[in-house]
Parts: sequence; C-alpha cells; structure tokens
Amino acid sequence: MSPPAQTPLYPWHIENNAHMGTFGGYSMPLWYPAGARKEHLSVITSAGLFDTSHMSVIRLSGPGAFDLLQYCFSKDLWVAKGPDRTKLPPGKCAYGVFLDEHGGVLDDAIVYVLSPEQYLVVVNAGMGRIICEHLQRQQSGRHVTIADHTNHLAKLDLQGPQSARVLTRILDQPLVVLETFPYFSFKGSITDAPAAIQTVRLIDGTPILLSRTGYTGEFGFELFVPLAAVEGLWQDLLKPDGDPGVIPCGLAARDSLRAGAMLPLSHQDIGPWPFQNNPWRFALPWASDQKTFTKSFLGSAALVAAEVDSYTQAFVGFDLRKIDVTQARVLNAADQEMGTVLTCVTDMAIDRHGDRVYSIASPDKPAGFAPKGLCCGFVKLREPFKTGEIVVLADQRRRLNVMITDDIRPHRTARMPMERML
Amino acid sequence: MKELHELNLPEDVRYSQDHEWARRENGRMRIGIDDYAQDQLGEIVYVELPRTGEVFSKGAEFGTVESVKAVSELFMPVGGKVTAVNTALADSPELVNQSPYGEGWMLEVEVTDPADYDSLMTKADYLKQLKAEA
Repeated sequence: MSPPAQTPLYPWHIENNAHMGTFGGYSMPLWYPAGARKEHLSVITSAGLFDTSHMSVIRLSGPGAFDLLQYCFSKDLWVAKGPDRTKLPPGKCAYGVFLDEHGGVLDDAIVYVLSPEQYLVVVNAGMGRIICEHLQRQQSGRHVTIADHTNHLAKLDLQGPQSARVLTRILDQPLVVLETFPYFSFKGSITDAPAAIQTVRLIDGTPILLSRTGYTGEFGFELFVPLAAVEGLWQDLLKPDGDPGVIPCGLAARDSLRAGAMLPLSHQDIGPWPFQNNPWRFALPWASDQKTFTKSFLGSAALVAAEVDSYTQAFVGFDLRKIDVTQARVLNAADQEMGTVLTCVTDMAIDRHGDRVYSIASPDKPAGFAPKGLCCGFVKLREPFKTGEIVVLADQRRRLNVMITDDIRPHRTARMPMERML
Repeated sequence: MKELHELNLPEDVRYSQDHEWARRENGRMRIGIDDYAQDQLGEIVYVELPRTGEVFSKGAEFGTVESVKAVSELFMPVGGKVTAVNTALADSPELVNQSPYGEGWMLEVEVTDPADYDSLMTKADYLKQLKAEA
C-alpha cells in the first residue's frame, strides 16, 4: 500500500491538531479539537468549513462531450424535449450516478455545465482515474477530451445557514455574485470563464468557481479554487475575528450531517448492485409516468430488466447508540434476518419528543429542547418495510430498535431561498 | 491527535495493553480509560457500564464506550467484583474526555487477585508500548 495522499491543506490540519484518518486514499481530518459534535451542530446553526480537495474533478471538452455524458450519466441533460428541446444550460449542475452495464453504481457525481461543449464532473476521492478510464472506454468515436483535473485545483465546502454572509467577507462584489443563486447552480470558473458564466473573484482577484451545492443537507457552497490560493482562502474564512464566524469541520461531521440529510455515501450506501428501490430515485431520468426513463443510458436496460431483490431504506433510532455496521444484521419482529446495515451514525442535532423527531433548527421545537442525538442511516432489506415500522439492528453486542423512515433530520436549509440567507 | 509527549500519563496508575488504567484507592481499585484512549476515540457520547455486584475476570469485557467514530469494548485491567460505578457518566459522558483519571473514572472493584495489578504496566513501560505501536 502506498502512503495516503495529502491535500494542500494537510500541513494546516496537522499544525491545528486535527485527528486524522485515511479516507479514499487520502489522509484527512476526521475532527478538530472542537470535536465532531460541535462541528455538526455549527453547520446546522451557523457555518462550517470542510477541506474537500480529496474529491476528484474530471474535465470533459469537445463536441462529443454532451453525448458521452448523456450515454454514461444517469440524469437527462436534455431538460426539455420536443421541437424546443434545450440542454441543461451553462451555470447549472446535476446530481446523478455512473452505472455499469448491470445497473450497478461505479460512482455518484455532480456534473457542472461550463458551456455546451465543456463540463466538469466531480466524483469521489480516488475515483478520478477510474471514471476517466470508464468514460474513455465508452467514448467510441465521440470527439471528447477527458482529463483528470484532481491535482490541478483545490476544493472547500462552506456549509451552514450563515454561509452566504461569510462569503461577503471574501468575495469581490459579493452582492452582485450572490444576488440570484438557485440551488444546484454555479458561477465562475478557475480557468477562463466561458462567456455564459458570470465571473466570481476573491477580493485579491483570484478567480474561483462557486457552486450552491454541498453534502450536508444545509444551505451552503462548494468553492473550487486554484491550488496556490487555497491556504490563504481557508485562513481568511476561519479568521478568529470573522463575523459571522466559521469553524473547521472534519469528515466525521460530514458523515453524520449527510446521513441525517438522507444523502448516500458512494461505495457504502450505493455500490455494485442495481441502483433501484432506494431513496435516491431523483438521480434517475424518470418520465412523468414515474415508470419509464426519458432516455436510455448505460445501465438503464439492466435497471428495467433487473429482478428486484433488495430495498434500501432509511432508518432513525430512539437514542444515540450506534451499531457496528461491519457485523450488523437487520431483524424483523419475529427475529428473522431481513438484511444488512449500510450506514449507522448519530445525527447529534436531532432527538425525539412525543412521536416526532425535532432538530435544533426546527422552528416548532419544544421549549428547552436539548438533543442528545439519534442514530440513523440506511439498511438494505430483502423486503420493503413501511414508514414507521420497527426493525431491530443487531450486532454481537447489542440490539437496537429503529424505525423505518422516509426522512431523518427535519428543517434542513439546503433549498432555502437566497434572499433569506443574506 | 496528541503526540506521545503531550499525553497525560500519571505515575500513580498502572496501564493495560488495551489502554485502561487501574489505581489503588482505600483497599479498592478504580478503573477507567487513559488519555491515549480518549484522545484516539474522540468525543465520547455514551458509556455503557455494568451493575454493582457483577464479577469480571482480568481481560473480560465490562462495557462499551461510544464515540462519534465507533463503539469500543472496555476490558478489565484487573479481575474483581464491581463495588461502584460512576453514574455521572450517564448524563455527562464527556467527563471521560475531560478528566480520564478523575471525574471520568468508570468502576471501583474489589480485586480478586492483587497480582493482577502488579502485572500491569508502569508509565515508563506503557510509553514504550505506545512508541512501539506508533
């Protein structure tokens, strides 16, 4: 095994006493001295900053780029069909998956449209080369240049309801940039911005790509920045006298935030089995009948033909205790084995009161609400269960009752209208 | 993560290979996890302890400690009968992080075999083990 890779911020993490761990082939901060609980809560109530430079970025350019993505990526990039058909326009992004011919997931991704012939594809840590090679194998005569840009740029995620106000401290002309900024859109570019994309610069003039996306379920942004600028930007954002303030957050908080927000972790919640009967239907190009697809793409025939033998569902527990997913089984009321546990973490911002789950961000939370956290995550089952049904998660040590659910952390802020966040 | 020289490793306790400590106190033995263990685990959010009266042999699992990262077993550094458990940890598990040898203690036991304590590591020996692991 080669030693883990490092992001440009690795020296900062070590200098600032981060607890490090290996993830996706990179040595990454799991938490900082503030602790994962405080980091998790600050993203829900204020703002947190993540080093996400371990993620891979692929650039596709050329007249065949659109067509190749249409064939390999699960979302339909024709956003309107018929005589007035239109492509997903520059400045928009889309979440989807890359499937193999059996309908299994190679990786999930966000595709950024820079221009009708230029796309950025952000995939998971360590997946840049693999997805590049996959796209090259599927290229078959299309005129596309496919390049792994992972080591040419850095990425930071600024997440939490104060994120836009934080950005006003570091952007040139922040109000012009932030004025209209829908969820899943982006502005700027770290290379020459195509004409259709509004430029975004830091106060010192450095061009960045700013995207209203994230992996926490909360309002926020992803920032793609030149390597040379990342450490300065990171420190500016974290300035102790910054108002609003931001704290650095590690992968532990990222994992608990995303699970509470019902987002899958690639290679754990989705993987080499057919991508169906899971909470992430929105990643597929459903027609209005919700039964057929608006396009055929690599893996789609297998999804249609595959026999359904597993159902991925979310659960939420009754206290904060977790189970060891490597050993855990799911049991029904009759103690029959029903499946396996994919993710089990504690969302430390939620708790039960009466028959409901509240978050510290819930406007209608009970007086004096002080959540201890609830365990939550995803199970893969042989049969579907109804929302509200109780199953048992068992490992060699404990048995936990948990409830099958269609949502976990309430009152998330990811889709809040921009004007309420400035 | 703490460097080895930053660890708080008092001289008045003995250490086990599994990173528990034991301290002689008024004819009984107090037990907890050490600074290295709490630092590695990160924020402790839940501690599961036995009831008083239960008897465990040296090395037996007596409970679990749950951090944001994982659920980890706790092993007896010495064998004996539990005479007291730290009930404060039920509401304040963070005491284990804040004061692993003080307010974050876990059990008090009546030791079965006093030789168990002598087989545990002194600070100097324990530091050697940590260096070897690192």
